[in-house]
Amino acid sequence: MSSKAQSSNNLAHARRTVQQLRIEASIERIKVSKASADLMNYCSEHARNDPLLMGIPASDNPFKDKKPCNIL
Amino acid sequence: MRSPRVPEMATQEVQPNETLTHLKTESDTLKTKLEEERAKLHDVELHQVAEKVDGLGQFIMKTRRTLKGHGNKVLCMDWCKDKRRIVSSSQDGKVIVWDAFTTNKEHAVTMPCTWVMACAYAPSGCAVACGGLDNKCSVYPLSLDKNENLAAKKKSVAMHTNYLSACSFTNSDMQILTSSGDGTCALWDVESGQLLQSFHGHAADVLCLDLAPSETGNTFVSGGCDKKANVWDMRSGQCIQSFETHESDINSVRYYPSGDAFASGSDDATCRLYDLRADREVAIYSKESIIFGVSSVDFSLSGRLLFGGYNDYTINVWDVLKGTRVSILFGHENRVSTLRVSPDGTAFCTGSWDHTLRVWA
Repeated sequence: MSSKAQSSNNLAHARRTVQQLRIEASIERIKVSKASADLMNYCSEHARNDPLLMGIPASDNPFKDKKPCNIL
Repeated sequence: MRSPRVPEMATQEVQPNETLTHLKTESDTLKTKLEEERAKLHDVELHQVAEKVDGLGQFIMKTRRTLKGHGNKVLCMDWCKDKRRIVSSSQDGKVIVWDAFTTNKEHAVTMPCTWVMACAYAPSGCAVACGGLDNKCSVYPLSLDKNENLAAKKKSVAMHTNYLSACSFTNSDMQILTSSGDGTCALWDVESGQLLQSFHGHAADVLCLDLAPSETGNTFVSGGCDKKANVWDMRSGQCIQSFETHESDINSVRYYPSGDAFASGSDDATCRLYDLRADREVAIYSKESIIFGVSSVDFSLSGRLLFGGYNDYTINVWDVLKGTRVSILFGHENRVSTLRVSPDGTAFCTGSWDHTLRVWA
């Protein structure tokens, strides 16, 4: 590759990098305290519907039931 | 700043370099600004906020099913939406569809290549997609007729210039998202095989991807050998956020169930949580005693638990909010290569280099 072509490649790459960074720098952000609170709220709202978290009785979990499955 | 006076003739040669310098300076300035903006909002740590949350008790999770049948390393698996069927793919070139309740094999396809690194179940349950060293992603409709030769109905959808590392149907059977060792991700129309959008930005192999939960819109996250996790707009092809805090390849990325965050697992032996609205890493899940890479991660239904499959043959279960490990599970006799929680959250499945898959609950 000629040095002219190479430098225009580098230029194109540098322009794309700057453009990308401009986009990333311009997004709106929230505080970690708010983001954390929202994550915690989601967890607590959905906790009781989380079988792996709450543990569900063997009779309700098709994988825990070792007897042959009766498909309804 | 005025450029120094140079003789007329040399100006043509000097200008490209000057613009390059300009751009480099602007790029550095933007990077610094990004870090500053992110730091301003870093007022607390997630685990500190989570101190007031109740701790988790003991977890008893065991292998409930072992799926045997692959002749070599299991590389990938996916659940069907019916919560009982599983598709898995292996280094032996085979793709198998299992009924996880009974452990019966329902379908088996032999691919023309070894190292089938990616497989996915279609939302309808009527097809599976897979690919690997063939650089393609192919779709096989699943026939109810066990005698039918599935390979005959195979449809080639995606074509990359290097191995296929991951694939996923979008919310219908009509489109597939792929990631590749060629450094790109791509969105394809299944029926026509047409490339709908390509995603450029990773500087090395892309190893994994995950689609945002459908309620949160048209984005997906990818992770690669460049240690970056990128969030993409599916319509425009634009990378909208990028995170580079891992110290090695990112092998797995998975959205938090609300869509506001995602977790990653890396060869640097850590899992991390990135919040998309705070635009930063908010937790690291690691221990000094854990020195082997993480191959795959997934959340429990509420997002409180993060399961990680590791190269030291174990599964570590993490309290997402508090950042502590709540359980370590043994059973596989070689690396855990793939891990997914079932669609209704009652169990999770792991695939391993020990040729088996295990269902845990």
